[in-house]
Parts: sequence; C-alpha cells; structure tokens
Amino acid sequence: MIACQTSGLSVAYHTEPVLRNVDFSVSAGAVMGIVGPNGAGKSTLIKAMLGLVTPLTGTSEFFGQSLSRVRQRVGYMPQFTSVDWDFPTTVRDVVLMGTYGRLGWLRRPGRAEKETAATAMAQTGITDLARRQIGELSGGQRQRVFLARALAQEPDLFFMDEPFQGIDAKSQRAIVSVLHRLRQAGKTVVIVHHDLATVQDFCTHVTLLNQTVVSCGPVDEAFTSEHLRHAYRVGDTEQGFFEPDNSRGPRVEVAP
Amino acid sequence: MSDVLGALMGPGAFFDDHTFRMAFFGTAVIGLVAGALGSFAYLRKQSLISDVISHSALPGTLGAFLLAVVVLEVDGRNMAVLMLGAVVAGTLAVGLAQYVTRATKLSIDAAMAITLSLFFGAGMLLMRIISNGAYPGKGGIQDYLFGNASVITKADLIASISVGTAALVLMVVFWKEITLRTFDPDHSTVLGFHARAIDALMFITIVIAIVIGVKAVGLVLMVAFVVTPPSAARQWTRTLPAMVVLSGIIGGLGSGLGAYLSIAVGGVPTGPLIVLTLFAFLVLSLLLAPGRSLITRARGRTRHRRILLRQLVAEREAHIEPQGSTTLPGAGQS
Amino acid sequence: MSFLLGATLVAVTMAMACALPGVFVVLRKNSMLVDGIGHAVLPGIVIGYAITQDLGSPWLILGAALAGLVVVLGNEYLTRTGLLAGDSPQGLVFPALFSIGVIMVTADFANIHLDTHAVLVGDLNLASFQQLTIEAPGRSPNLDLGPVYLYVMLAVLLVNVAFLAAFYRQLKLTTFDPQFARTLGIRSGALNTGFMFLVSITVTAAFNGAGAILVIALIVAPPATAYLLTDRLPVMIGLTVGIAGAGAVGGFWAAYAANAATSAGMSVFYGVVFLLVLAATRAARARRRRSSLQRTTGTRPTTPEQALIG
Repeated sequence: MIACQTSGLSVAYHTEPVLRNVDFSVSAGAVMGIVGPNGAGKSTLIKAMLGLVTPLTGTSEFFGQSLSRVRQRVGYMPQFTSVDWDFPTTVRDVVLMGTYGRLGWLRRPGRAEKETAATAMAQTGITDLARRQIGELSGGQRQRVFLARALAQEPDLFFMDEPFQGIDAKSQRAIVSVLHRLRQAGKTVVIVHHDLATVQDFCTHVTLLNQTVVSCGPVDEAFTSEHLRHAYRVGDTEQGFFEPDNSRGPRVEVAP
Repeated sequence: MSDVLGALMGPGAFFDDHTFRMAFFGTAVIGLVAGALGSFAYLRKQSLISDVISHSALPGTLGAFLLAVVVLEVDGRNMAVLMLGAVVAGTLAVGLAQYVTRATKLSIDAAMAITLSLFFGAGMLLMRIISNGAYPGKGGIQDYLFGNASVITKADLIASISVGTAALVLMVVFWKEITLRTFDPDHSTVLGFHARAIDALMFITIVIAIVIGVKAVGLVLMVAFVVTPPSAARQWTRTLPAMVVLSGIIGGLGSGLGAYLSIAVGGVPTGPLIVLTLFAFLVLSLLLAPGRSLITRARGRTRHRRILLRQLVAEREAHIEPQGSTTLPGAGQS
Repeated sequence: MSFLLGATLVAVTMAMACALPGVFVVLRKNSMLVDGIGHAVLPGIVIGYAITQDLGSPWLILGAALAGLVVVLGNEYLTRTGLLAGDSPQGLVFPALFSIGVIMVTADFANIHLDTHAVLVGDLNLASFQQLTIEAPGRSPNLDLGPVYLYVMLAVLLVNVAFLAAFYRQLKLTTFDPQFARTLGIRSGALNTGFMFLVSITVTAAFNGAGAILVIALIVAPPATAYLLTDRLPVMIGLTVGIAGAGAVGGFWAAYAANAATSAGMSVFYGVVFLLVLAATRAARARRRRSSLQRTTGTRPTTPEQALIG
C-alpha cells in the first residue's frame, strides 16, 4: 500500500525552479530518508506535498486521497518553526495542540487528549518540562516538544524536516528511539536528512534528490556510491567522497 | 477636471502673496528635512516611531507652554521654548518605547502603541487644563492636532530652516556611524561604537525633523512625511546617499506641491492634501520605477513562469515514455 | 439610571470590548495596525453618515469598519510586494485615508459636524448622553435603561466574546505557529482577515467614545500589562479583562474629578498602570535573580549567560 505519492511535482520560487517533475512515492511502513545536497529542494518537496508551498505543476496524494480528506493522518515536524517563542503557553499546552486537528469545532481537549499528550511527552522525555514556558527551553528540548506535538496528533504518516539539526546528544537519542518505535508500530516516516553517514542507521528507503529524483527505493538499491556521486554532482575521479558501507548490510529490516 | 484647472490660481499670483509664500516654503522645508532623515527610520525598519514622536510632541509643547507661562512667566508662544519641550518629550517617548522592547517580551509595536497613547493622553489632559485656564497666548494650541500651514510666520520659517539645517548637519557629520549602525548593528558594536549613543543621535535628528513640522502639518499626519518619501525614494535608488537625497527632494517637492494645490483650489486643508500628493508619488514609484516596477515585474514573472512550465511539460513527456517508473535519471536536465 | 452610573458602565463595557480582542492583537504584533485602523475609519464614518444620517447606526459601524480593513489588506499587499522595508507599509495607507476623511469633514460633506477634537479623543459623556427609554405601561415616567451607546458597546462585547469562544483554538494556533496551523488545514488568511475586521468593528464602535487615537490605549494597554504578569494565555485573558475594567473605572473617575476628557484620563491611567507593573516585575525579577545566585554559588555572575542560568 502507498502511504503517499506525488507525480510531476515542480516548484519554482519566483522564476527559479527548485524541483523539476519529481515523482515520488512512499510505501506504508517505510522510513524514507530524503537525501541530497544543499539547495536540492528536500524541504521544498515536503512543503509542496503538504500544501505549504504552491507547486507549479503536479499533484500529491495521501493514502490514495487528497490531503484535505486525510489531514488528521498526516503529521509534520518542520525544520525552522514559525513559532513565536514568547507566546504565553506551556510545553504541555503545545503538545496538546497536536490533538486540536481531530477535535472539531468548539470541543475542548478532554481526558483522552490529555493522556495522548502525556504519552507523547513521556516518549520524547520531556515530561518534567511540562509546565515550562516554551521559550525557556534549549534547542534540542524545543525539537522534542515539536516531535511530541506531532506524536500527539497520532498520524499514520510523519514528515520530519532535518530533526537532528543542531541538537544535543540526549535529544538525538530520544528522537532516534521514537523513530524506531514508530517503525515497529507500522507507521510511515518521511525524513529529510543531511548526514550521509547515519542514513543507514534508521532509514529503510532512500530518495536521492537534486531538483529531480536521482534514485528512489530500498536503501541497498538507491543509496549507492554511483547514485550519490550523481546526486551530489561529484566527478568519478574525485577522491574522498562519501562511500556507503553496503558490505555491512542494512542495519534495519526493510518493512514488507 | 478642466473646471478645477480653470479655478486654479496661477503660480505668479500665488507667490506674490506673503501667506502663501510662507505656507509653500514652510511645508517644503518640513518635507525636505523629514524626508531625508526619515530614510534612516525606514532602513532601521522602525518607520512608525515617527508616529509616536509626533504624538508625544503634543504634551511636550503644551508642557513647555505651561512651564513658560506659569513658572518662567515668559511669552508662551516663544518658538524656541515650545520646540525644546517637544524635542525633550519626543526623545523621552523614543527612549521609553526602546526600553520597553528591551526590558520585556513585548514587541516594538506594542511598546510604540502604549507610549503613543500614554503621551497623547497626557497631551490631551494638558490641553484641557490650558483651554480651561486663562493663559496669555493660548490661541493656536488647537493647530497642533491637525496643523495649519497658513499660520506659518517668517519667524517660524527661519526657525524651521535653522533647526532643520542643524539636524541635517548632524546627519552628515555622523554619517559613517549612523550608516554602519543602520546596516549592521552588531558589526558597529564590535567595531567599538557605542550603540545607544548613535541610536540616541539618530533618533534625535528624526525627532527634530518631526517637531518642526507638527504645528504646520498636525501631529496626526506627520507620520506620512517621515514614511512616504523614503518608501518612494527607495524604489528608484540603490545607494544610501542617493536615497537620502531623493527622499528629501520628494518630501520637499511633494509638500510644496500639496501646499500650492490646497491654497490654489481653496478651502482644502494643507496637511491632508500634502499627504495625498506624497501618496501619489509613492504609487507612481511603485508602478514605474525601473527594475522594481510592480507592472513590469508581474508581467516578467508571468512570462518566465509560462516558459518554465512549457519546459517542464516537455521534459516530462520526454521521460515518461522510456521510464514510466518512480525513478527518473536527473542527467538529462542539467 | 443616573447619568454618571450610565457613563461609567459605558466606559467599563467599552474597555472590555476593546481589550478582549487586544490580547491577540498584542500577541500577533499588530498593535500599531490598530493605530492605522483607528484613523482609517474616519472616511468610512463620514460616508456611512451620509447614507444613514445616524452616528450610532450598526450599518454605519459595519461600513466604516470596511475602511479599517483597507489598511489591513493594504498593509498585507504592500508587504507582500517585497518592495518596502520594515513597518513602513503600516504607515503608508492610513494617513492617506485619514486625509480623505479630514478633507470630507472640512468640506462639510454630508453635513457631518464632527468636532476635530472629538475625532481624535472622542467624547464619552456626549456619546452616553442619549438615553434608551421604554414606555412602560402603568408607569408615568418612561423606563430608563441607560445610555443607548451602552447597548451598542455591549453588543460589540458580546460579538467579540462569541468570536473568541468559537475561534479560540484557531486564533491561538495561527498566532503561536502559523505554519503548523496551515498543516492542520486552518485557513489562516481568512481567519486573520475576519479577526482584523472584528477589531475594525470594535474600533469604529469605540470611535464615538474614545476617538481615533485613544482607542489604541483601550486595545493594547490592558493585554500588554497582563502579558508582563503571566506566561499562560488563559491567565492573560483573565488579567486583561480585570485590568481593562478596573482601569476604566479608575480612569473615568480620575478624569471626572479633574474635569478632563474621559478617554484621555483612561489612557493615561492605563499607561501609568503599565509602567508601575513594568517597574514591579523588573524589581521582582532582579531580587529573585540575586537571591537565587546567592543561594547556589554565593558569588556574583561573571557573564550575563551565567546570570540567566541562575
């Protein structure tokens, strides 16, 4: 089953094309890493799929339907949040916001929602920060709060944009453990990632992107030295470029 | 339209009249100084501080008036005393707004709004005290609200020119420091310039520019004299000196033209007509300035997008035939 | 109802009706936009008066509020062009609209006789003058229900309460994290326009009592003061309403005693309360920091960062 797919997606900022005719699909249960050099359009791909950026051409589907029909099943953790850090709100309240989408009009978060939020906070290790104002946290703690908010939404499909960017080791471990837990629960994750060395640690699938899709598939097929050189536009003669260690085999089992 | 034009007074008759001459040159000086110095507020992205300053000029002026009449027992219409009061109050207001932003989590706009209403409220209380009491020379106090260009005297004009020149000289003398601080505040601190001293200097020049205008233009509309000319000038210029000069010219020219129109048409208040003239300058600049023009830009963007779209469709058709899978080689496009 | 009681009630209702949406105005950093709206509604009021011949007409209020919306949308458009820096778009549109309004007033358009003074500061006592009376059967003097203007402001207050209750979560989300709100499918553009229209309606309704400029004090000062005291949104809303009400009574009576314009008295009162709260919170924080430092290390901090951690 396909969790999400997009076809013929092109995005231009003003008149500068960032993505050209991208075809991309993720099967349910996969942890799909989106990898590519700076300016490859990794974040733009996610944003265009989620309707945060208006694409020039192309369509996206989630679970075979348009996004507006299945919004509750799709979670998103942005790289740079548009958050107002001085906003008078606590960590618990922010995590609870994840449940707002499924509450309709006028209904207030009840016990079930509060329990969901508490579980999400426990999984990301921020339970003891619950009563803090959101601006009082460190970068890694903030990142975990937004992961917890995405978890509280209880989506089947997660989009994460560079969740490991500039955070401390403890937060990094917390996020990796959440990723493993999600995979075990059969959730689908699309994760923008820039560290080639750790891609194989938690991704089952990889998309190499540089304005267009260079390769897309299970890690051992798509994440090859040849594709990488292509995606990063590195010549064959240049030495010292990253070589994926495919000899050790995938460290995670590819989901069926 | 031709009726209106026919009713217009010719420039010859206009400049023969003393009052009209004063109104024209008085507002032109105000527009020139405010336009030139407003550029820095514009580039500091704090244009609206000018609105706070002009409103705080009211309690400053009225406070100085009361002080002069009651305590010092001098003529309350003394231009120098009133200006000094307005400059002190304006500087205090800027300082308060900046302090509130620094000391609390409130953003600059809320700090400005509170400062503005506090000072203006105080001004309205003082105005009530003055109009209830029997103070000599209290006539004309009302003019500060909406301005009255027809009461500009030769002494007012000389005062505006000399004080305005002083502000412009300050700007030229400290050009390097002010520019550096405006462009890159942190870098200027690293280089060892005292940030708050430069800020104070810069804002005082803007306060002066506003204070000389309030009586003729009114405190409500003064904001347009500080914000509109730089916004228009920025569209045509790429360097700071050019922007400051053009902004001054637009301010001076627009104000003079507006004053001329208001008197020539007759019965139309000067301040509002100047504001509308400046606004027309801005609209023309946004529509016509080369390179930034809204019209040519929108056209160019539509054309480029159409070309890009055609390209993308062609690329897609070329690849969909042989591949048809989710994997597309990227080599063909680059 | 005695005139004084009626006018006090008007002041309190008006203050609460303004301060409630003010919470989100302050949090969205739109405070100076309210200044623009306050001025821009003038031509709307003049044109509305030409049509309705009644300054208290709800149609006039709705129509004039559209003029306020011109400032909001004009600001958004000018910002989006990317041609103008900082807050200048907010300062470009409203002076032009206000100028049109002033020209219309001075040209005696529609025979509207607005005291230029009243345009800026309003006149609460004058606004409260017209009393709502109902002929009650069997009672010789008609039943006096207080100023008509009280009911106008009460209606605005109720509309504001209803809007905030219905859209509380959406407003909170779009203010706190607009991008996340969009992923949840909240139409933040429409919500923002709707909210600013409501602010515009509130400003127009308060125009008679508070004028173009002092309405800013009513909208911004109470929530800004409350913001200094708490970092919980529900608490902030509660404090805002409390401060608005208490400040209205205090300001009204101070102005009455000093024989000054009510709205001017109220705005100075709010400003002073803000400064007092600011000074108190600064002092309290400095004391807390000192004592906790002494407790943990017994030494003075060497860097500002260490001081913050303490």
